[in-house]
Parts: sequence; structure tokens; C-alpha cells
Amino acid sequence: MQAFIEDFRLNFIEDGRYKYILQGLGNTLIISLLAVLVGIAIGFLVAIIRSNHDKTGHMKVANALCKIYLTVVRGTPTMIQLLIIYYVIFATVNVPKIVVAFVAFGLNSGAYVAEIVRSGIMAVDQGQFEAGRSLGLNYKQTMRYIVMPQAFKNVLPALGNEFIVLLKETSISGYIGLTDLTHGGDIIRGITYSPLLPLLAVAIIYLILVMGLSYCMGRLERRLRTNER
Amino acid sequence: MNGDTLIEVRDLHKYYGKHEVLRGIDTQICQGEVVAIIGPSGCGKSTFLRSLNLLEPPTKGQVIFEGNDITAPGTDVDKIRQKIGMVFQQFNLFANMNIRDNITLAPVKLGIMTKEQAEKRALELLERVGLPDKAEAYPAMLSGGQKQRIAIARALAMNPDVMLFDEPTSALDPEMVGEVLGIMKELARDGMTMVVVTHEMGFAREVASRVMFINEGLIQEENTPQEFFEHPKNARLQEFLSKVL
Ligand SMILES: Nc1ncnc2c1ncn2[C@@H]1O[C@H](COP(=O)(O)OP(=O)(O)OP(=O)(O)O)[C@@H](O)[C@H]1O
Ligand SMILES: [Mg+2]
Repeated sequence: MQAFIEDFRLNFIEDGRYKYILQGLGNTLIISLLAVLVGIAIGFLVAIIRSNHDKTGHMKVANALCKIYLTVVRGTPTMIQLLIIYYVIFATVNVPKIVVAFVAFGLNSGAYVAEIVRSGIMAVDQGQFEAGRSLGLNYKQTMRYIVMPQAFKNVLPALGNEFIVLLKETSISGYIGLTDLTHGGDIIRGITYSPLLPLLAVAIIYLILVMGLSYCMGRLERRLRTNER
Repeated sequence: MNGDTLIEVRDLHKYYGKHEVLRGIDTQICQGEVVAIIGPSGCGKSTFLRSLNLLEPPTKGQVIFEGNDITAPGTDVDKIRQKIGMVFQQFNLFANMNIRDNITLAPVKLGIMTKEQAEKRALELLERVGLPDKAEAYPAMLSGGQKQRIAIARALAMNPDVMLFDEPTSALDPEMVGEVLGIMKELARDGMTMVVVTHEMGFAREVASRVMFINEGLIQEENTPQEFFEHPKNARLQEFLSKVL
């Protein structure tokens, strides 16, 4: 017990080392939140373009661009994407690392969100779409009021899962020298040469975040579902 | 009973790839008519019905609705569809909204009625289809027969000039067929122009002003119900009737 207290003091209290963790947690939260927003924006846009193309045959060029984007993002490791965006694309401009990170993770997540949302749109019965059109609603109105709300509900569990993956994936932010939660814990380890507590603390914080996220998604799902049965 | 021509179909062809499903359909549907369409499975009944509101765009030929060629390029199809109600075999009520919203969505979003007007009309229509207490219900809570009656109410909310029905009772349990047919009969009595694909020979005989036999992508016979059922001329129709009657 004595040893544990000593270890705890060394890793978190001395020189205010807990601040590495706090700072890292803050960055992880900011990166994840902004990346989720970027990912949702890109993902829905791409999904809408792709399903519009599938349903109407329009938007051939945009659809082709979307497909390239999906192939590249899903076909290469996230880490490489992050490094390329940091060292190549943003090499000459001076943007804060945190911006680089959320842009990179957002671009990455967008591809997965896009395919999730597209599958959700396709899972909505074609009859729903036809009923909307038969009443005189145009394509956009039918998608907006009838298809998308149902698609969104269909994919909520998968989206929640994607956000959890994204949150954990931000743990490679350290590779561009950004102090995220993982890197914060690792800095302490490097100073104290005592790996157990800092890494355990980091793991527990991720776990709490993920469990909190799961809980919120579950509640949202239930709220959307109660209406219908 | 028969007034002016409401829909005129000229030499309508439809291909799915190389498969020619409609092979040259010519007919007219007049104001106030109730046209029943019968025929074997897969002969193109649905395809024909769905080309009347361009849910299936024809490969060749014309559909003239209220004097306008709606198959001509540049036609505002959405505008036309507002005047053509459609009821589907699978009901297709919007699963994400309650019954009131199902009925009011199109009139409100299309700017035809205010929300208040549309809600008032929805209640009238629910009254008319015998479901005044279902405004707050969701589609999943209703029986098939109730769903189809709501689907009819939803189409009527747009005040269409014609109603298309694609086997409206085929997905229903037998005991629910009557309630839906009952509403359709009332509609017919009120003078609504209707085109009904159906397997309900009783309905065709009793309510239709004309019965149409589609087979192999062609109208092979059309006549008054009396003549159609008592003195069928086409050999395929005779065979078909002998099986279904
Ligand atoms: N989207 C489509 N793509 C390809 N073939 C189709 C499509 N829709 C219908 N068909 C084919 O066209 C033919 C006619 O179909 P249609 O649905 O009009 O028949 P139907 O007379 O309504 O039959 P049923 O009584 O089974 O409803 C069928 O052979 C069907 O397989
Ligand atoms: Mg059919």
C-alpha cells in the first residue's frame, strides 16, 4: 500500500504531473469532437451524393470523386494519413497541430460514416421513397422528410460504434507531437520510468469515455424507437 | 357517368433491359370512370399503372394527363403527381411519423394547405375512412386493413383528380379485405376516377365501369363488367377467368 501511494505521488502529484493527463484529455476531447463533426458533415454529404447517383443516375462526376475518396481513405492506415496531412499537405502552412489532427481524423472518419449512412439509406424500403414521390414531393423533400430520418435511425448503432473507434484512434496523435491523452500518459512514463500507473490511468479514462458514449447513444436510440412501437 | 378524357395512353412501351414488359398500350380513362385491371402475375399490370404517374418512365409512347403530354421532356412531374393519388399493395405509410403527419406532410410541404387546414382535413379524412381515433398512432401499431385505409386517406389529402390502386387488398388478411374495398366503393360512388389493379373479381364486377384484361404486355380485352365476365371473347381471358372465378 505504501508503495502504491509513493508510486501515485511520483507519477501524478510531483511537479503537477497530472497536468499532462489533463491537458492530453482536453486535446483528445477537442480533437474527437471536432473530428466527429467533420466526419458527419463529410459522411452525410458523400452518402447523399452516392445514393442520389444510385437512385437517379445523376452526379456522375461527384460520385466518382466520392469513390476515389472512399477507396483511398479506407485503403490506407489512419496513421499514414495523419503523417501525410501533417508533413506533406500542411507542411508549408503554419496551422496548429490540433487543427491538423481533427482535419485528418475527420477526413478519415467521414469515409466510414459515408458508407454507414449509405447502407442506412439503402436499407430504407424503396416503397417509402415511392410513396413520397407519388404524392408529388420531389427527390430532395422525399429524402429529407421520409428517407433520411429512417436511415439515421437505422444507422445510429453503427455510427455510435464509429465514434468510439474514432475516439480511440486519436491516440496516435502523439506521432505529430501533439499531447493527447495517450501521449500525456506516455510523457509521465518517460519522466518517472514507472509505466504502470500512468498507462493504467490513461486506459481507465478511455474506458470511461467510451462507456459514457455508449450510454448516450443507447439512450438516443431508445428515445427514437419509443415512438414507433 | 363518363365525362371528358382524363388520361390518354398512346402506344406505351416499357423495356427492362431487353425484356419488353409493355408492348404498345392504347387506352383512355375518362372522368368518373372506375377501371379495373386484371391479368396473370407478371403480365405488366403494375408497370402499366406506375407509368401513369411516371413512377416507371415509359420507354416509348405517351401519357396525356388532362390534355398535357406528361411524358414530354421538361414536364414538371412532381406537379402532375400531386393530382394523381396512388395506393400501394404494401401500404407504404411513412414509418417515421404518426398518422396525422403521414396525411399532412405532402399538402403542407408542397404549400397547398397551411398546417391548420391540413390537420383539419386529416381529421375529416380519418373520419371518412373510419379511423378518427388514430391520428396520433404510428403505422407499426396498425393492422394491415387500417394501414391501407390510412394510405387511401393520405392520397385523398392531396385532392387528386384520379386514384391509382395497385392490388390494394392483396397483402391483407382475408377478414380485412372488406373494410378497404368498402372505402373504395364509397369513393367510386362519390365520383372519383379510379384505376384499380385487382384480383378481387367481385369488386371488378360490382364497382368497375370497365374491366381491362392485360396479358403479355397488351390490353387483350376491355369491356363493361357485364360483357367482360359473361361473354369474354379472348381465349386467354376465358382461360384466366375459368381459373380465378
Ligand atoms: N424494376 C424492374 N426491373 C426488371 N424487371 C422488372 C422490374 N419491374 C418489373 N419487372 C418485370 O416486368 C414484368 C412485369 O412486372 P409487373 O410488376 O408489371 O407485373 P404485374 O402484372 O404487376 O404482376 P403481379 O401480379 O405479380 O404484381 C415482370 O416480368 C417483372 O419481373
Ligand atoms: Mg403488380
